[in-house]
Amino acid sequence: MKVTDASVYPYPTGDSTLARMALEATDLGFDSIVAIGEVGRQPLGAEVIRGVVISAASHKEVIRRVREPAVRRADVVFVNAGDTSFNRAVVGLREVNGIRNIHAARRNAFDHVAARSAAERGVAVDISLAPIIRLRGTRRQRALERYADILSLQRRYGFPLTISSDAHSILEQRSVREVRGLCALFGMTGTEVSEALASVGRFIEPEQPVRVVG
Amino acid sequence: MKPRPPAMRAKRRYILVRVLPYGVTPDQKQAYLSVIEAATSLFGDAAVGFAQPAVVFCDTGYVVVRCRRGTEKDIATALTTVTAIADGPVALRTVAVSGTIHALKRRMKPIRPLSEAGETRFAEHCFTVYRYPRQKVDLVEQGIKHQKLLFFTEADLEER
Repeated sequence: MKVTDASVYPYPTGDSTLARMALEATDLGFDSIVAIGEVGRQPLGAEVIRGVVISAASHKEVIRRVREPAVRRADVVFVNAGDTSFNRAVVGLREVNGIRNIHAARRNAFDHVAARSAAERGVAVDISLAPIIRLRGTRRQRALERYADILSLQRRYGFPLTISSDAHSILEQRSVREVRGLCALFGMTGTEVSEALASVGRFIEPEQPVRVVG
Repeated sequence: MKPRPPAMRAKRRYILVRVLPYGVTPDQKQAYLSVIEAATSLFGDAAVGFAQPAVVFCDTGYVVVRCRRGTEKDIATALTTVTAIADGPVALRTVAVSGTIHALKRRMKPIRPLSEAGETRFAEHCFTVYRYPRQKVDLVEQGIKHQKLLFFTEADLEER
């Protein structure tokens, strides 16, 4: 089981290089990180997985974007959540691995129909820790409420969850133990956190039936 | 005033926290204010009043936070939401929890720069270079205030 931080933003988007973030992730108990943006050579420390985030206004634009060579090269493709119809359409796309930024979407933007569809197709919903860490007051309360709602849908329909720090700096990365503490704020158990941290590993190396060779 | 007998005193726990970036030793009062702000905004006045968090030690890149026994998990969670102390960006990493400060002081391993600070020019800015163990390199922009911080490795620095 590979413990993965589902998105980090290395330099030049953030202030820490990919190598430094990979080193820090190892110290914090992660086996791999998903780096959004350009990924050069594999650095020392945690394994680096190439990730792409698509922000689009319509699902047609998402379909066009997933065909771009840069997106095809990526190991993990995330799409930023939008309104209800957008989310329902996006979870049905084969090329999309996960839907993220759910805390910024409207209430019920990710509903039971999208949840069922996500569970059937194995599309994950990303839980970003950044709003819990960085925001204060009503905005953080709203994010916690959204995550609690997503968790109740996940327990019912069984779609995968991923957990990301959305770190732009090593100062924003958090350890596995700290992730457990933060996720407990909206009712996630330790087992659920472990499952969610291992989800990205399952996209990369999906479980397949044993093939008898020879 | 006669002190309370030990059995009547509130049981405490001490949380050892490492401060990032390396080399930053925050002021104890500023650290306390940041911890209280983070804990209060996360759990509210009632819970923080019950937990009684306090910063009792602040030196060599470590902070020791005291709280009531049984609330240490909540306080450790609140510490992860501290992003700045006195307008300086920091991260607080929980290292250990113990019943005595003495036990935590044994766990403190101050991380110091490996050699003399160097200088480099990068993206049209002058940076002071601090090298740390495991090939970690911190670049601090030269200036009076709001200096930019960059976190590199030896290999990244050689490539540029």
